[in-house]
Amino acid sequence: MESVEALVAHIQGLSGSPQEVAHLHNLLKQADCESLRAHSAAFVQFLAHLQPETHSLGYLYLLEAFVTSTANLMDHGGRDLLVTAADFLTACSADQIRLAPDKFLNVCRVLKDQVMQLNMPIRGIAPLRAAVRKIQASPEQLTPVHADYLLLCLLAKQYKAGLSVLEDDIFEVDQPRDLFLYCYYGGMIYIGLKKFPKALELLHNAVTAPMSSLNAIAVEAYKKYILVSLIQNGHVPSFPKYTSSTAQRSLKNHTQIYVDLSTCYGNGRYVELESFILSNAERFQSDNNLGLVKQVLSSMYKRNIQRLTQTYLTLSLEDIARSAQLNTPKEAEMHVLRMIEDGEIHATINQKDGMVSFHEDPEQYKSIEMVEHIDSSIQRLTALSKKLTSIDENISCDPAYLMKIGRERGARFDYDDFDSVPHKYF
Amino acid sequence: MSAPSDSATATAHAPASASAASSSSGLTFKLHPLVIVNVSDHHTRVKAQAACSGDGSSSSGETQRGSRVFGCVIGVQRGRTVEIFNSFELVLDPVSGSLDRAFLEKKQELYKKVFPDFYVLGWYSTGSDVRDTDMQIHKALMDVNESPVYLLLNPAINLSQKDLPVTIYESELHVIDGSPQLIFVRSNYTIETVEAERISVDHVAHLKPSDGGSAATQLAAHLTGIHSAIKMLNSRARVIHQFLVAMKSGEVPVDNSLLRQVSSLVRRLPAMESQKFQDDFLMEYNDTLLMTYLAMFTNCSSTMNELVEKINTSYERPATRRGGRGAFM
Repeated sequence: MESVEALVAHIQGLSGSPQEVAHLHNLLKQADCESLRAHSAAFVQFLAHLQPETHSLGYLYLLEAFVTSTANLMDHGGRDLLVTAADFLTACSADQIRLAPDKFLNVCRVLKDQVMQLNMPIRGIAPLRAAVRKIQASPEQLTPVHADYLLLCLLAKQYKAGLSVLEDDIFEVDQPRDLFLYCYYGGMIYIGLKKFPKALELLHNAVTAPMSSLNAIAVEAYKKYILVSLIQNGHVPSFPKYTSSTAQRSLKNHTQIYVDLSTCYGNGRYVELESFILSNAERFQSDNNLGLVKQVLSSMYKRNIQRLTQTYLTLSLEDIARSAQLNTPKEAEMHVLRMIEDGEIHATINQKDGMVSFHEDPEQYKSIEMVEHIDSSIQRLTALSKKLTSIDENISCDPAYLMKIGRERGARFDYDDFDSVPHKYF
Repeated sequence: MSAPSDSATATAHAPASASAASSSSGLTFKLHPLVIVNVSDHHTRVKAQAACSGDGSSSSGETQRGSRVFGCVIGVQRGRTVEIFNSFELVLDPVSGSLDRAFLEKKQELYKKVFPDFYVLGWYSTGSDVRDTDMQIHKALMDVNESPVYLLLNPAINLSQKDLPVTIYESELHVIDGSPQLIFVRSNYTIETVEAERISVDHVAHLKPSDGGSAATQLAAHLTGIHSAIKMLNSRARVIHQFLVAMKSGEVPVDNSLLRQVSSLVRRLPAMESQKFQDDFLMEYNDTLLMTYLAMFTNCSSTMNELVEKINTSYERPATRRGGRGAFM
């Protein structure tokens, strides 16, 4: 049991090479007991003696002991703590803090709680982004800090900041809760940026992730999933086979009103949809989904016009207005123009006689950009294929799998099977 | 006997490394590729066996740098042309440092029966340079053939070297420090192939798998060949390009004859610049890329399928009550 000053001296002395840091880590673990925490109120001035970059591990221990006791937070919390913690997160050295990951996560969580309490989420964005990069073992790992970071981005409406974290593909997940939160918040950020296909992908992951019992995050994600897929595709796809059985059974029950909305949308009549939405507006509002629902409404026109492209080659603007239940041909022209600009349909408007002629996709695949596009897709796919093969190999060596396979072979003695698993091994 | 031979080996040390002296005997050497393949096969086999059995019985020679292999080369000598057709392996007695004569003679008899024209022309060994002890073996062979030839194969793989790592040495009597000695002098040689040899060497060089009949392996082999050819073309073109850039920046003195050669080479390339050609070319290129993409997709899906099956077998729960779906997919 050492006094705090001795500990600080140790920290300052032993932060050079990795062996020293490991030794320091052991010392800190021994010292990390209740009596240390009892003194934690006094830590603040000691923190000033230490450098976050070089003495990251020691700093982390002291800081964590300080922030996890609520008494300290109430007394000394606020802006100063924010500044200290934020500086630490941006400046700390990644190797040292990886030795004590759970303490690091505690500090991040406390930082997030603090900024939310002070109602300044934007101040937490930069430090948490640095924290995400530092604690990740590889860019493909999901950490609890991801979810907190995305939440702050959402609250601060800084959607672009969240993009940098969302662009990495995730291959390793520790806690299922992290995955659900990440997918849900990530989906919301993409919705905010109006990138509906990517939002759909993330929400789809949240809905179809394996879950043994229903959780609220999946229910909320499913509600948004219905709305976004209505906006993007015009219909809600049924559950794929790999959805967990709990999800398949219970999700629809909890989101009944949205399912009704999608059936109403499928009927294709604007007025009905509008009245349905108006009558249930408070329900949608309580879920914070009213904005999305309004977007669903406006996408109804687009859907109808797109349906027309499949039937007609040319059509007059009045006919478009009539079948899409728009009020005037001018509105129809505006809608068609916007859709052409967004690239959703291919058409030309002849203003003289008010005719719109629909075209095929004019892509001739003759350009160099297309070559680059396909080439990059192939590269991505090759990388993914390599990953799959390595996972496949790992599974083949998994003892659970080998046991099942060995049992199935029974006592047959095929000469072909001679170099596979010896079934009597287990 | 020991004193002269010591001095011979002592002084032979210097000229042995200076065997860059070229032969003046005027003999032309023709080497068949079978010999090279035989020697390299022998070396590889011995090396693999030595690696398998630990550091146990490596067949012959020094253990300083891996073992050397030894053997005899046979062929025909017509007038001034020495044509080396074939070779066989010999065992070197590590104690006495000399070749096993009984074995050599037995082999010679056998080969005489099949190839009555072939004589023992010399011997071969592997290594990077001529050793001092080689002269002893060379002299020992002199009673079989009065002027044997020594073929040295360098098994070290040197990627920058473009020529074959095979050197042929003859022995000549030179007067060094007042006493006549035999030293090794390098000779030039050419490679001579018969059609059958060319086909078989080609076959060995490409190492097709045993079931080379399937379309996939043939396609892979074909594409590998094209890929290596294009790679070499690319590197050569890059060299020329660097040279031209250096010439432009003044580092290298301008050489007009070289420039003329380069320009004639460039003019020989077919180059079409019309828009229609671009369009058609890119369209076909994109089609091929899409096919590759599709193939990659199929590959990925099949891997994914296997993966999921494995996951299902290993983590499958028995069907739960109410007939709920237990498996992952």
